[in-house]
Amino acid sequence: MLVQRRTNRGLVVAALATALTLIVSALPASALTIHRQDGVSASTITLGITVPLTGAAAPGYNKVPYAMQAYFNYVNDNGGVNGRKIKLVIKDDAYNPVLSKSVTNDLILKDKVFAIVGSLGTAENEATTRFVNDHGVPRLFINTGFSGFANTSKYPTTYTLLPSYVMEAKIMGQYIKDNFAGKSVAIIYQDDDFGADALKGFAIAGTKFVAKIPYASGSQADPTVVGKWISGLAAAKPDVTIMFGVSSASAAALGGSYKVGFKTQWILGSVGGDGTTIASVAGPTAVGLLYGAIGTSFLPAPTDTSDPYVAQFQAINQKYNSGVVFDNNVLEGMNTAMLTVEALRAAGSTLTRASLMKAIAKSGSTFASAGFSPLGYSSTSHIGYNGYWFGTYGPTGAIKPQGGTYTLYTTDSASGAVSKTTSTRPAMPEKGLPNN
Amino acid sequence: MIFIDTLLLGISSGAIYSLMALALVLVWRSTRIVNFAQASQAVLSTYIGYEITMRSHNYWVSLPLAILFGAILGSLIDFLFMRYLAKRAKSGPIAEIAPVIATLGLLGLLQSIIGLIWGNSFLQYPTPLSGKGFTFGSHTIPFSPQNLFIVLATAIVLLVFGGIFRFTDLGLALRAASFQPEIAQLAGIRVARIRNIGWAFAGAAGAVAGAVITPTSVLSPNSLDLLLVSGFIAAVMGGLDSLVGAVIGGLVLGVGFSFILQYVGSSVTFLAGFFILVIVLLIRPRGFFGHQVGRHA
Amino acid sequence: MRKRRFTSLQRGGLLLILGILLLVTSNFVDELRSYQGAQVAVYLVAISSIILLTGYSGQISLGHGAIMAIGSYAAALAFSLWNISFEFAILFGMVVGTIAGFILGVAAARLSGPYLAGTTLALAVGLPTIADQFKVLGGEQGLNFDIGDAPGWIKRFEGSDFTQYRWFFWLMTLVALGVVWAITNLLQSSFGRNWRAVSNNPVAASLAGINVARAKVLAFTVSSALASLAGALFGILLGIVTPSAFPLTLSFTILTGAVLAGVGNLAGSIVGAVVLVAIPEFSGALSTHLGNSQKVTANLPGLVTSLLLIFVVLFRPEGLWPKKVWKRSRQLNN
Repeated sequence: MLVQRRTNRGLVVAALATALTLIVSALPASALTIHRQDGVSASTITLGITVPLTGAAAPGYNKVPYAMQAYFNYVNDNGGVNGRKIKLVIKDDAYNPVLSKSVTNDLILKDKVFAIVGSLGTAENEATTRFVNDHGVPRLFINTGFSGFANTSKYPTTYTLLPSYVMEAKIMGQYIKDNFAGKSVAIIYQDDDFGADALKGFAIAGTKFVAKIPYASGSQADPTVVGKWISGLAAAKPDVTIMFGVSSASAAALGGSYKVGFKTQWILGSVGGDGTTIASVAGPTAVGLLYGAIGTSFLPAPTDTSDPYVAQFQAINQKYNSGVVFDNNVLEGMNTAMLTVEALRAAGSTLTRASLMKAIAKSGSTFASAGFSPLGYSSTSHIGYNGYWFGTYGPTGAIKPQGGTYTLYTTDSASGAVSKTTSTRPAMPEKGLPNN
Repeated sequence: MIFIDTLLLGISSGAIYSLMALALVLVWRSTRIVNFAQASQAVLSTYIGYEITMRSHNYWVSLPLAILFGAILGSLIDFLFMRYLAKRAKSGPIAEIAPVIATLGLLGLLQSIIGLIWGNSFLQYPTPLSGKGFTFGSHTIPFSPQNLFIVLATAIVLLVFGGIFRFTDLGLALRAASFQPEIAQLAGIRVARIRNIGWAFAGAAGAVAGAVITPTSVLSPNSLDLLLVSGFIAAVMGGLDSLVGAVIGGLVLGVGFSFILQYVGSSVTFLAGFFILVIVLLIRPRGFFGHQVGRHA
Repeated sequence: MRKRRFTSLQRGGLLLILGILLLVTSNFVDELRSYQGAQVAVYLVAISSIILLTGYSGQISLGHGAIMAIGSYAAALAFSLWNISFEFAILFGMVVGTIAGFILGVAAARLSGPYLAGTTLALAVGLPTIADQFKVLGGEQGLNFDIGDAPGWIKRFEGSDFTQYRWFFWLMTLVALGVVWAITNLLQSSFGRNWRAVSNNPVAASLAGINVARAKVLAFTVSSALASLAGALFGILLGIVTPSAFPLTLSFTILTGAVLAGVGNLAGSIVGAVVLVAIPEFSGALSTHLGNSQKVTANLPGLVTSLLLIFVVLFRPEGLWPKKVWKRSRQLNN
């Protein structure tokens, strides 16, 4: 009986404590009201980004936010945006949608960011959509090519930057038709929306495959999985093989085919074609394996110092991001940061979330950027770039445009035609400092 | 041909699982603890090996030093943490899971320290051995000199430690210290010291695993995590007590995974691992080579 | 000497009053705290599932994250595919999780210590990969589980600025209090006594006529019911159910919470839950203080959690809960 009574009291204490602590845990922060204009003060603009800094997807992408920060610091040192300095809050989500959700909560509720810029990943951005929408937080230039994000009624505050994977696949399909007519083609693709988008694009382009090899995101780290890709390819003997995955998967595919002496003409998708990332994942030997592969991008080659944007960004990188190798990730980060600065400038000195989005609708298509393709922003469209050029990897892993000039293929995410153009991007503003 | 290739792929990854399983079994045999920190210990040893290779430009210099470091690290972990754990958390429900929690804590601790020192980017641990498969006529098999080296390393670790356990007084003391610590103490065995040696052995075996496997993939604070899981499954399948069991468990798992990948699908391997394990344990609740009616752990 | 005893009904009333108090309080806190409060409630349910299993019946599971996944997926499927209302979706998730738990429990009762740990670990790693195999489970993109805003009557009562996170806080707090009430009752029943007997001394328990295997299977089943409930709530909180929501680290996280709570101590589970939510907050602040370099931002939360874990097992194996109360609750174990 003695024990029984104590049990009872212990448990009641437990229950009491439960409730009390729940209260206390809920208490400290102050009153509720949702602040619609968080993140802007007389002297600062606070922006936020979620990106994998740890985990399998981190290599390469973990350089992007720090490149953005470097560019913002460069702008801050040159007077900032309408007198305000930009602060970037960087959160690690380990490429996990659940973490994206909780760190995005933090960004909006705790760090009170004005806007989210350049957040990475399809599922990751998807997971935070509801909360971002509820709070009306602009989400600029997200780092994913999933075509679904173009839907402005579902994602009213979201702006994409990358051409969609559907566009990329359509363009690649056209490129193969132009250059490898009658050759057999195989594809390795990531088995999720990323890959599904690609297959959709290839279907529109009419590309037929002798082998289709899906892989689960992350499984490329397992040599047994990679061994199976290659044995599948070797059985189908394709002339051309498309690798539509992340860089670590490209590295695995190249390494795996080297191991068993399998040869094909590789075409790497834009996501998985960064030479320095491939080197960091698979070692310097893998860069050698890149030699002769075909790659694609919408930005200039990061090694092309004759390009004014690349030269300027390299100089900024040296000063504000010292010790970091300038590659496609750094280029992409700086380019995104530059567009952000232009958008903030266009919104004027009485900066609000509404004025920012209005400014992008009005003048977003005229923003200067390193990308060769035009930007599609308007009052009805939140789509950024829409085109790609093709290049060949040299022996050092550097990509060079075919024929020496950047020839651009542009298209849309639907059934529109693919057209070939030469680029006419706006000239770089002086010293890479936007003056719009 | 595909059958043989699949088998070879399975054997080379199975050998890798076996090495990790061996390290887990070594700690289990001498202390009755499943050491989840093994992955991070092995990774830390590998980072040391990596630093030495970067400076000496010689893998063969770094290998023994990394193994030595692994042994010292294992011994230190016992000396600084596990020894106290056994004294403090010995009664109540916590005693059952304290070792699991403590080693999980150590796993996280070592990984964060590695991250703070070296960062979370992937590093390349170069090896002089080729990763290119052997060629027979026109066919290149998916089995390279590096794979062969891993299989040999597994065999050496098995023979060395198996020999120590079976044929030396030290091995006898190790077994006694884990099964009946009080009686061993009374028999004049210095249990604490003997256990410490067990931890050092396991640390060395883990370091071998890290140093021979990492050149086939990448080096990062978490790079051996999944291997720890596979190694644990392999060790449990083998019976946790048995070095031979660990190797066989690893090979069964590796070959099993490989065939499932080839003939079923890529994303079910770990689930298949679960089912393989459940089937093995339902037939033999203490694994292939465990003491079937031994004392309750 | 005879002191007042609370009946089940009185306890229920007490909890209800506290619940109402909590809900009223929620009007004065901001959204972030509401979200964290909801998180605490979900962790509380998950941690008590471990405490019930390990603390009161002596079994170990490294795979409760997988059981949460089962509850979460079943509930999300019911909700998004069959358009069942979220309350019944949660129930459905629990039913499926309970069945799965029973099957696992039957296997688990045959296994001891590390063998059970190994099996559940394999499950935790393997199970979420199923989602890639079946299109209906949504692959890596997962399933939508956005239950929307609070029902109209609450909104009419509380005003239109009653945000979704506050609604989650209400919902999950009430569920958590209900769970606490149910477990306290269960532990005082004959089932609870049997479990304690089994965990303390299985041989003696079986001599006393307790069917040890059956008690263990039952404990695993009930624990799974709670874990799958926690999973369903977790899915609602996230608004989306994906395989990556249930990594191995989730299983370890709730185990960590249980250890911080003191494994044999239901009362401590709240401390465990709060600490789990507080750790990222704390290490975030610390990392800002230390200058936010990439290495620090990425590794500090892990460092803090691991140090806390090691500290607890070495120095406070009874958990973070105040010792005095713990001693009392330990007596009921022995």
